[in-house]
Amino acid sequence: MRICGLVGATALTLILSSGAFAQEASLDLVEPIAEYKIYVSEQVAKLVEDTTAFTAAVKAGEVDKAKALFAPTRVSYEAIEPIAELFSDLDVSIDSRADDYEKAEADPEFPGFHRIEYGLWEKNSTEGLAPVADKLLADVKALEGRIASLTFPPEKVVGGAAVLMEEVAATKISGEEDRYSHTDLWDFRGNFDGARKIVELVRPLIAAKEADFLKTVDANFNTVDTTLVKYEDGEGYVAYDKLSEDDRKVLAAAVNTLAEDLSTLRGKLGLD
Amino acid sequence: MLDPKDLRRPSLSLDRRRLLKGLGATAIGGSFAGVAKAETLHHSVADAPVANATNQIDSVPCLGVHQAGIVNARPANGMVASFDVLAKDAGELETLFRDLTARIAFLTVGGPVPVLDPKLPPADSGLLGPMVRPDNLTITVSLGASLFDERPWLAPLKPKHLQRMTRFSNDALDAEICHGDLTVQICANTQDTTIHALRDIIKASSRQMILKWKQEGNVPVITPGPDGRAESARNFLGFRDGTANPNSSDATEMDRVVWVGPEDGEPVWAVGGSYQVVRIIRNFVERWDRTPFGEQERIIGRTKMSGAPLDRRDGHEFDVPDYAADPEGKATPLDAHIRLANARDEASKAHTILRRPFNYSNGVTRSGQLDQGLLFICYQANLERGFITVQRKLNGEPLEEYLKPVGGGYFYTLPGIRDASDYLGSSLIAAARGA
Repeated sequence: MRICGLVGATALTLILSSGAFAQEASLDLVEPIAEYKIYVSEQVAKLVEDTTAFTAAVKAGEVDKAKALFAPTRVSYEAIEPIAELFSDLDVSIDSRADDYEKAEADPEFPGFHRIEYGLWEKNSTEGLAPVADKLLADVKALEGRIASLTFPPEKVVGGAAVLMEEVAATKISGEEDRYSHTDLWDFRGNFDGARKIVELVRPLIAAKEADFLKTVDANFNTVDTTLVKYEDGEGYVAYDKLSEDDRKVLAAAVNTLAEDLSTLRGKLGLD
Repeated sequence: MLDPKDLRRPSLSLDRRRLLKGLGATAIGGSFAGVAKAETLHHSVADAPVANATNQIDSVPCLGVHQAGIVNARPANGMVASFDVLAKDAGELETLFRDLTARIAFLTVGGPVPVLDPKLPPADSGLLGPMVRPDNLTITVSLGASLFDERPWLAPLKPKHLQRMTRFSNDALDAEICHGDLTVQICANTQDTTIHALRDIIKASSRQMILKWKQEGNVPVITPGPDGRAESARNFLGFRDGTANPNSSDATEMDRVVWVGPEDGEPVWAVGGSYQVVRIIRNFVERWDRTPFGEQERIIGRTKMSGAPLDRRDGHEFDVPDYAADPEGKATPLDAHIRLANARDEASKAHTILRRPFNYSNGVTRSGQLDQGLLFICYQANLERGFITVQRKLNGEPLEEYLKPVGGGYFYTLPGIRDASDYLGSSLIAAARGA
């Protein structure tokens, strides 16, 4: 997920200066947000562990091993993408795409997972990737270091579920994120789990009043699950180009509808 | 929509009289005040162009035996958006049709936009402000062959001639802008109104369908001449287009040319519908502009400036060429576009189609050329006898050097929404449930 650095920085400043729980309506959210923070911490710990192994393989020139570790390593990062806006500088450095750089893949600034993905799949080589791997590991460790002291504004967390669905609808369903490795379905797993986690955490707060809404949201998450299950392969998923056109349509409609529905979640919780 | 500089045009006096007549209505009175001031006040670049209030409140009824947006005159802006439909059974398809009907009913009539809790996303995009005005909007829904072919419960109900568009000899079809399960043709006076309608429909139907492609276009707005007679609009080749169209205000002629009737051997549910052809036809305009004037006229078969046929160059665009008197094509070449498309004899009457095209201008190609052309749309009661036959006659025409059809498809336009208790496609759903 990329957002404009300036906007991200401004948002962050606002969050830091306004405190986490500015809204009265969010008192009930203290517990869900605390739980979400634990979830994020667990995911990031796993990310650091997996990235350590992944970058070690890259640095050791073990192309096949690095390829095998690429997609599973990313799942925990994709799961915390709903709040990537809160660490936008690291998000750029960890997960930006070639399109974000003027010279695309040839741009020396092109960093992170996708820079390594490009080398592994397009060049079948780890040549020149050691410094990229070092920087990636440093960045995920920096992220881990930040989480403990990072403020989680409820509106950003709750809104993040919808934002991530927007991101999937706009620039992931096309298969452009993992364009070299075609491991997009692994990312989807992380994205949907991460978004659903947020819905689960606030469910008790709206269960009585918004039963129909939750039923629709659940149905769409379930549609995604049953579709993804069809493409499981071992511990993970088959390549994105194996996804049938019919199933791509089913996923696209589910994602658009989740984006549409989850865009109301903040308001339903009284968050502005 | 009037540009401020157009206010100086003599035609304004007519518009102003029309406005004055409508001054009784407060809404119009308010807008009129804006028009009057426009002549005396300086305009800032940030000001919106001054609208013609009578256009904004113009509306086309969405109820009737046939859908709107076919025989009524084209407004300045048009669009075709094609969708993939997810419906797995008749119930889900009915929900989609009912939802579309509800949006059409609101958008083509207009009204205030619902106001929601500001903590929630707004109900409306707000493009048209707090009050949606009809602005001559029509929304016309048609179905593609794939909708039927991919659903065994619907397949037996497919209209007889409905098929997936296949390539003609000069086509270079791009799969990304071809076909679809359902098209929505949206036409209105202003582009904001067509875009507002599209965004409204996408928002309302995200559960049921996914946007596949869209193409927008427009028709140049032409002031009628001093004799009050309107001229045909020009396409991006600079020629008048649509001159030989059948008279769309002649109901008997439309029954013959456009509307599927009980005698056509189509499924009963389809009566009142029509076959829609959409073709995105790129024009190589740079090359065209480098072609000698006389050759351009011979390729099209009309004089460029007036649109008069080549065998009566001093005539009028609506004069009918006399091909019988020109068997060797000395005045109008035998392979001229208009002569191939319509030989003007008894036999060609069977192949009449109602054309309703819009010009499009998209951007720049990789080669640094303009991506412009014609969003060709036509309607006919028989697809095979209509467009397909006419296009076969055009295969190999000299104009092909300057054209490249790249997208579109064949669709079946649903019968109309009969009354307020009906919904779009109700006859198809009833037939699907009965089958």
